[in-house]
Amino acid sequence: MSDLMAHPYHQYHPQQPQQRQFNPYTENGGTILAIAGADFSVIAGDTRQSEGYSIQTRYAPKVFKLTDKAVLAVNGFAADGNMFVKKVKQRLEWYRHAHSKDMPLRAIARMIQTMLYAQRFFPYYVYNILGGIEEDGTGAVYSFDPVGSYEREACRAAGAASALVQPFLDNQIYFKNQTPALGSAHPTHLPLRHVVELVIDSFTGATERHIEVGDSLEMYIVLARGRSLQGLEGLKDVRELSTPGSNGERLFVLRKPLKRD
Amino acid sequence: MQINGGSVIAMVGKNCVAIASDLRLGNQALTVATNFEKVFPVTDRIYLGMAGLATDVLTLRERFRFRVNMYTIKEEREIEPETFAHLVSSTLYERRFGPYFIEPIIAGITSPAKGSKPFIAGADLIGCLNFAKDFVVVGTASDELFGIAEGLWEPDLEPEDLFETISQTFLNAVDRDAFSGWGAIVHIITPEKVITRKLQARMD
Amino acid sequence: MNTLVSRYASTSATLELQDKDGLEDENVSDTMWGSSAGFGNLGPGGLKFDIPAVHSPTDFLRLHTDDHADPSCRIKIKHGTTTLAFRFKGGVIVAVDSRATAGSYIASGTVKKVIEINKFLLGTMAGGAADCQYWETYLGIQCRLHELRNRERISVAAASKYLSNLVYSYKGMGLSMGTMICGWDKTGPALFYVDSDGTRLKGDVFSVGSGSTFAYGVLDQGYHWDMTDEEAQELGRRSIYAAGHRDAYSGNTLNLYHVKEDGWRFIGNYDISKLHYDGPGDVPGSTGKGYGYEERTAGLSSSDFQEVVA
Repeated sequence: MSDLMAHPYHQYHPQQPQQRQFNPYTENGGTILAIAGADFSVIAGDTRQSEGYSIQTRYAPKVFKLTDKAVLAVNGFAADGNMFVKKVKQRLEWYRHAHSKDMPLRAIARMIQTMLYAQRFFPYYVYNILGGIEEDGTGAVYSFDPVGSYEREACRAAGAASALVQPFLDNQIYFKNQTPALGSAHPTHLPLRHVVELVIDSFTGATERHIEVGDSLEMYIVLARGRSLQGLEGLKDVRELSTPGSNGERLFVLRKPLKRD
Repeated sequence: MQINGGSVIAMVGKNCVAIASDLRLGNQALTVATNFEKVFPVTDRIYLGMAGLATDVLTLRERFRFRVNMYTIKEEREIEPETFAHLVSSTLYERRFGPYFIEPIIAGITSPAKGSKPFIAGADLIGCLNFAKDFVVVGTASDELFGIAEGLWEPDLEPEDLFETISQTFLNAVDRDAFSGWGAIVHIITPEKVITRKLQARMD
Repeated sequence: MNTLVSRYASTSATLELQDKDGLEDENVSDTMWGSSAGFGNLGPGGLKFDIPAVHSPTDFLRLHTDDHADPSCRIKIKHGTTTLAFRFKGGVIVAVDSRATAGSYIASGTVKKVIEINKFLLGTMAGGAADCQYWETYLGIQCRLHELRNRERISVAAASKYLSNLVYSYKGMGLSMGTMICGWDKTGPALFYVDSDGTRLKGDVFSVGSGSTFAYGVLDQGYHWDMTDEEAQELGRRSIYAAGHRDAYSGNTLNLYHVKEDGWRFIGNYDISKLHYDGPGDVPGSTGKGYGYEERTAGLSSSDFQEVVA
């Protein structure tokens, strides 16, 4: 009988009154993914927000634009995620006022580490992935754990279906466990169109096999300064979020539907 | 189920099936052996793979050997894959309230009289069968296996292509799981023969 | 014991619970923008951490993040494992693996577990990855300030003491860190082990992490002070290989560093599985064969020889 009541937030002792404690965390499901190319970065996330077996909403964005060249995806506990993004945006605004320029990507990554570690004893239950263009024009992806440890990588999936998506990416992006044909080598960087298709395939696969993933996919694409739009032609419903005409980095977003069951 | 570790996968191809397992036997973090196969032949055309507690894997291998032998003696013919799947299910349900801690996968080809069709099935630890048309996965790396299989599998793969697909799926999935790996073995079952290959897997 | 610490230490974590005035609006202060913002939570008031307003903050943290107490806890903090360092006549060898696991899922195979504090000091990472990364960066700041104030490079003993005193003030709060501070200072090659319980030990040979027992096995049988540089590097590689092979939580790749009088040198990054089959390749000290048992003993067993019929 006491097994049924065994729960960290609920104490059951036969002779005493029951006690319940407020659990400040919950899991809202979803999955995010980011891939860095030679001169672009793709950051994507599904838009389903769930709690247990219920869907809270079919459209709750998890990927946010920070600057024209930095995009932050947050996943885990949605309330902590949304609040964390607000705080990051505020710190970036203060930096702009103080230094008259945007924060470079690796500085944003280090700042996110200190912001997360400041809550080491009451953590943000958020898995962050920061993607964008570095100062030297290369695509970059930084992934974080909930208390701030971070690493720059070429690709990373996080969230409920991360265990489903990440090994697929290992095989298709890093060519792990594949030996190249005699005389050739695996490409070190993949073209944009191929990367976009891999992202869509990863999410359709995750939607099939994980209940918390689905509804729709939102994908942000950051292109380095001066890079042509090659790779984006033929993609439907692509919107530009950067100011058109400026000759800096360019940011595009596209949405694709996913299965809603 | 995570004490010993291990994972198994089976996939359907064109007139063939493939079943693969890793070779690790562990005691939580310690790797004790790197030659512990989890897939066993039941008949010439049916293979059984089991992931979970190692002692139950070995015990059930013997129990099913006994039961299949009794079936063969009584029926005077070889057991069909679907019948064997139901045999597995009822054997596990006998222990409904004190189960064997394993999840089985059955892969085989029906007899020529029944058309030599490919067949796979998976079950949970108390015998609930899942007759999948594409692939079944069990073990500590099951999430990883689901993700890659969903991305790489397509219907009607020839035996050699099926071998490549199942090998890539399996190797990349166990490389993301701390409790599976240290070698892999793949059996491709066709109506004529069974091809067994060991894969050069990561040994860490 | 904790009350002693909180009474006499000025940077104690529990002091924050008592000192409520100063910052009414949490996180918003003059240090938050401008050039002070770069200090994060190391502003002029010293280190500031938010603590939940519950009865027992340490129990709260353990409930939500401690893998060992409850494997189904939601917040899975990445743990690092198997690092080693040893001192010998030619300096200090530091070898680490690169796997980080969150539960049984391998979160990353490319973690940098050697933190380059400055050109002469290296710190290793074992336990909680964020704790090690954050506090060893902090240590780098303190070492630089020491250099500026004293016009002299900091000794390894002093650097390790900064770190151990710092984590001691958070003792019991849930930090998890087992690190080795390695360097070459006026006293020669130096190696200190520091962990989040407050232990600080000077020694010649250390291995830290879940795979440390496997690494010690190889390390202890091959170690002596008068090794050559090549022998020492090979010993470091073999020890981490043993741990990567047998321990489920260690593996992927190996990073090897050598600290000499003029600073540290990065020797190389080796894939542990490739070491098993092919060995380290053409590097000084290698035997040219794979490190794996099958590869080393193929054809050498008595059962491999055919009976000779006279």
